[in-house]
Amino acid sequence: MNQSLIDVFVEGAKKGLHINLTSMLPNLVMAFVLIQFLKITGVLTLLSKVFAPFMGIFGLPGEGIMVLFSAWLSMGGGVGAAASLFADGTLDARHISILIPAIFLMGAQAQYMGRCLGTANIPSKFYPPLLLISIVNALLAMLVMRFLA
Amino acid sequence: MGNETPFATPAQEKPVPWYGYASLLFAILFFSGLFATMQGWLQAFDYTTLLGKYGTVASESGAATTFIGQSGTGARQGFIFGLSLAPCVMLALGIVEVITHLQGLRAAQKMLTPLLRPLLGIPGIAGLALISSLQSTDAGAIMMRELRDTDMLTDRERLIFAAFQFSADGTITNYLGTGSALFVMMNVPILMPLIVIFVFKFVGANLIRIYLKRYTEEALKG
Repeated sequence: MNQSLIDVFVEGAKKGLHINLTSMLPNLVMAFVLIQFLKITGVLTLLSKVFAPFMGIFGLPGEGIMVLFSAWLSMGGGVGAAASLFADGTLDARHISILIPAIFLMGAQAQYMGRCLGTANIPSKFYPPLLLISIVNALLAMLVMRFLA
Repeated sequence: MGNETPFATPAQEKPVPWYGYASLLFAILFFSGLFATMQGWLQAFDYTTLLGKYGTVASESGAATTFIGQSGTGARQGFIFGLSLAPCVMLALGIVEVITHLQGLRAAQKMLTPLLRPLLGIPGIAGLALISSLQSTDAGAIMMRELRDTDMLTDRERLIFAAFQFSADGTITNYLGTGSALFVMMNVPILMPLIVIFVFKFVGANLIRIYLKRYTEEALKG
């Protein structure tokens, strides 16, 4: 251990800043713009009505579906969508707590098909069950969080 | 490639020092929120307490707000909100780096290794790859491939391991990094959703384990 713990901490904080500037910020801007666009065009209201019965199973309003859709594309997008809907009062603290494990369990699958399954040489015929299991994980986690939050 | 492998068998590994276990315990307590409500010096060992808060400024309505302001929307609000999160992710990953340096994650690996066979049906040698996948999607995936290429994992075991990694990949970095944006908006301790995530990573891997029972080893080759 020839590095002091202070240096090690600063190194980690630099990584954190890098993630913040290059991943979180662009993803949050994307998610806030997307939600704003869907709100102005009325699509968000429509989606929330269509998905209200389904999301209701998890104790969430219909708009919560946008968080799951965005999360599937990128975890940062899911987090951004959740933060944006929290900021305007559509989601509350309990809703965010129910959604957060799901954002990660089914998060960024569009990217991770290449980065994880592709890199590990997983035969493509097993992609569908692996994708499905992640979504099942997310849905079950929301049910559990409904009773914990 | 033969059977050469960069992965040490449990007998070849160096023992984890005491401070590895101590730092792991510290990390769990630090993010658990257990010390947040305590009075006095113990509070100093809590993530949200050390994160602190932004100073307040007066809004148009006269109510106090932070520099993020009130009622912002769109790209501008996304940007200023994202910027306000830099300290959350810097503090979290700074602490994770210290814990890793003090071999806290090796301690977790050591404790987890004998459990991999009963919990996931994969050999203990995958412990390092499993712990690495919690920090980096790419490192976990590359190690999983190496383990298969060197015959340390069968095709069946690789698929089970892939199900574990694929759902909530890069768990610790992503949750404590990107997820930190939502920590102040939750009504549960920071650690609770993380535990739920881990539980379902194991559940998912076991679901594919059951699903794969109908396949012969030959059919799993792809």
